[in-house]
Amino acid sequence: MPLLTIATFLPVLAGLVLMVLRDRSARVAHGVSIAATGATFLLTLAIWARGIAPGGFAQVEQITWIPAIGAAYRLGVDGLSLPLVLMTALLFLLCAIYSARIKEQAATYVVLMLMLETASLGTFLALDGLLFYVFFEVSLVGMYFMIAGWGHEERQRAALMFFLYTLLGSLPLLLAIIGFYLGTGTFDMRAWIGAPPLSGLAAMLALIAMLFTFAVKTPAFPLHTWLPAAHVQAPTAGSVILAGVMLKFGTYGLIRFAYQMTPEALAQAGQVVLAFGVVSAIYGAFAALAQNDLKKMIAYTSVNHMGYVVIGVAVAALAADPRIKVIALDGATLQMISHGLVTAALFFLVGMLQDRAHSREMADFGGLLGRVPWLGWAFILSAFASLGLPGLAHFPAEFQIFLATLDTRPWGVIALVGIVVTAGLYLRAIATVFLGEAQDRWAKMPDLDLRERLVVGPLLALTVLVGVAPGWLIGMIHATMTGLVR
Amino acid sequence: MGRDLSFLLPEIVVAVTAMLMIVAEMGRAARLVLAIGLAGLAVATLLTLPVLHAGTTVFSGTYRIDTISGWAKLILLPGTAAALLMARAEIAGRAREGSLYALVVLVTLGALMLSGAGDVMVVVLGVVLTGLGSFALVAFLRDDAGTEAAMKYLVFGAVTGAVMIYGLSFWFGGSGSTLLSDLGRLRGQPLVLVTGLAGLIVGLGYKAAFVPFHFWAPDAYQGAPVSIAAYLSVITKTAAFFALAQALRDLPREAGWPFALAVISAATMTWGYLAALVQTNLVRLLAYSSVAQSGYLLMGVVALGASPAAVPGIVVFAAAYVAMNLGAFAVVMVVGRELRDLDGLGRTHPVLAIALVVFLLSLTGIPPLFGFVGKLYLFTAAINAGFLWLAVIGILNSVLSLAVYLRLVVPMGREPAGALAAMSAPFLLRGVIAAALMATLGLGILAALLPG
Repeated sequence: MPLLTIATFLPVLAGLVLMVLRDRSARVAHGVSIAATGATFLLTLAIWARGIAPGGFAQVEQITWIPAIGAAYRLGVDGLSLPLVLMTALLFLLCAIYSARIKEQAATYVVLMLMLETASLGTFLALDGLLFYVFFEVSLVGMYFMIAGWGHEERQRAALMFFLYTLLGSLPLLLAIIGFYLGTGTFDMRAWIGAPPLSGLAAMLALIAMLFTFAVKTPAFPLHTWLPAAHVQAPTAGSVILAGVMLKFGTYGLIRFAYQMTPEALAQAGQVVLAFGVVSAIYGAFAALAQNDLKKMIAYTSVNHMGYVVIGVAVAALAADPRIKVIALDGATLQMISHGLVTAALFFLVGMLQDRAHSREMADFGGLLGRVPWLGWAFILSAFASLGLPGLAHFPAEFQIFLATLDTRPWGVIALVGIVVTAGLYLRAIATVFLGEAQDRWAKMPDLDLRERLVVGPLLALTVLVGVAPGWLIGMIHATMTGLVR
Repeated sequence: MGRDLSFLLPEIVVAVTAMLMIVAEMGRAARLVLAIGLAGLAVATLLTLPVLHAGTTVFSGTYRIDTISGWAKLILLPGTAAALLMARAEIAGRAREGSLYALVVLVTLGALMLSGAGDVMVVVLGVVLTGLGSFALVAFLRDDAGTEAAMKYLVFGAVTGAVMIYGLSFWFGGSGSTLLSDLGRLRGQPLVLVTGLAGLIVGLGYKAAFVPFHFWAPDAYQGAPVSIAAYLSVITKTAAFFALAQALRDLPREAGWPFALAVISAATMTWGYLAALVQTNLVRLLAYSSVAQSGYLLMGVVALGASPAAVPGIVVFAAAYVAMNLGAFAVVMVVGRELRDLDGLGRTHPVLAIALVVFLLSLTGIPPLFGFVGKLYLFTAAINAGFLWLAVIGILNSVLSLAVYLRLVVPMGREPAGALAAMSAPFLLRGVIAAALMATLGLGILAALLPG
């Protein structure tokens, strides 16, 4: 059974079915949404159960598409994409559950979400350059309409900026893909990985184009400016998908394309990439420190966390010792998953707070821990995870990244400053919002209901699980990374 | 002779159809005229299929039956049929309605000649045939705007046509032959080559509306019936590109003409989108957008003879362009000519709004829509021919184009204006929009059917 194809297209098919249904009330729409994303999640678990092959792609599914130019429909999975696929399916399921409260144009909202899920899964699973690009771009369209339709006050402007910025960002990738194609005569990514087709100046140009694309997407300083605007205006589920899934397109591409297809050029440019990663990590932390808007603060911590991923990839390219390379790549990949879990939880919690108080300003709150203990403790746990506390999800990832950095380019560990600053800003946020004097106007604030606990619970459990016992996850990643390092 | 005529069956059918339409128009039977036209176009399209891969020439090399001319028929004939339906929806019941249909089919015959040209004389014939009919079409409404537009169009056309014939006489002098396949003899005569080419670019550039020969386009489109604007923006334009492709693929790549055309290409797309960015009239906006699209088609022309993706690129993008541009114009015909007419369309007419969004995203080049496949070929051709900088400019302009097209998308989400709710799309236009939508959505995914 072509499980990968079924999992990828099940959501969009469900969306199409919903479009032709006679009854498109909010109830039916959210029912379809939860059923489809739930089934997709189960399918990805089945893909996981089938397993991956070390040193290559497993479960490859292939159909010819444009034979004249060697483009085909090719899907496959390895230890880099499988964890991301699992996380994507889980986050979409949780978003579907969380979104069940949306009443305004619910059917259209659900169709867009399901389209986004197909695009996201397809991006991680595609083994054909052209197909990858198709999914990559379709996700932009979906997110544009998501922000423009269901965002907050300034949504039109933010959506426009998001679309223009990220389209500008993604088109250079198309040039690089065409370059690879002209070098090999096929769009098969396995061929590009097996024997990197470009060398010298061409490889460097392709790398620069790809770095631009992925730096916009990740986002890395100084190409991150679309992110806070988009996040603040996006609806909660939109923010979760944007941060949890779509930012990973950038870092996934960094490893899949930049690291695997132009390895020599990336090694040459490694110092520069590392510097951008370090600056991103530190800048993101300080910019987050300056925010009073909770959502904006979390958005900026994404710049910080994704900076560590960039550092990890750069170090892997620079390192001479294959063991260190593997450690760096393991750490970078694990960091993507940790960030997906933890940041998704934080955005959900801020969204839930906003649903209740219609405010995201830290100064508006105080002493909420006594009023809403579930929400408060969940936020505190996620915040501690986000600042890298041992025993929680980010620690094993960041530890491996810094270990490899220290061994390869010791100056890179100045990015540790970011962790200190992040710790400070989260403690400040916890102190202002959840501790201190309780305000009377929030006396009636209800705590998390069952649906909301169902959304946040799995993320918190996984955060702890990945922190305490990351072996099951790292094992999967490690098997592929050992084969990937040459 | 008999062999030659058998390959020309589609063209003959179109010519006979046009005659029959004129005869029927004499009886003032407009519906009959339309029916004959549609039937003739359908028959001609079917007759094209057997000779699609013929790869030969007829009448001692003056007319080509090859990939370009074959696919041109498959693109232009259905496109013309769609334009006829759009025209019917717009001008039904007017005086001289049937003559417009007959003229449209005659102009398409000229477009087919341009696409199959194997000889400079056939190019000239095609330019004249498309030109004369088009002037009359633009003036059809007989109001001030239409007359002014047609006058501009005519004067511009007469001058550029004369310059073209003058320039082409140099090629004849240099190569001793009017056959395009003999243009290889111009190798080593850069001055003759460039003079002739300059003439050809003036003549066909006017028809294809690329910078700096585009000034007539927004005025002519605005003065003409919207359906005729749609027709001119796709049929005569793409035919001019097919003619350029026929001529330039035999021309030696020397004297720097690819570079000069690349500069024109860059200027065309940039200027077109910058001008479109400030329009508030939808027809003018689409007019400038179609100027910019010419710039993309020129990327394929630049790569002729240097990349195997050039000819497929022109053909595929032309096909996509015909579908998505006709679709966009058809939506404009339903909604109205002003940008503010789109307010609230997404809420009152979601299907129409989705269709327009698909056409616009396809014009931008967002995958997996048809326009993306075309642009992919064109970018590949340009990079393959060594014009990476042109591809980069093309990409920057794609972002600019998104800004242009999102100006149409944003108002659709607003609160609807009063009159919009009662509006409904005429049956014919609904059919055209549905067909264009299926082509735009489906042919991107079924791209395997297209020429490689």
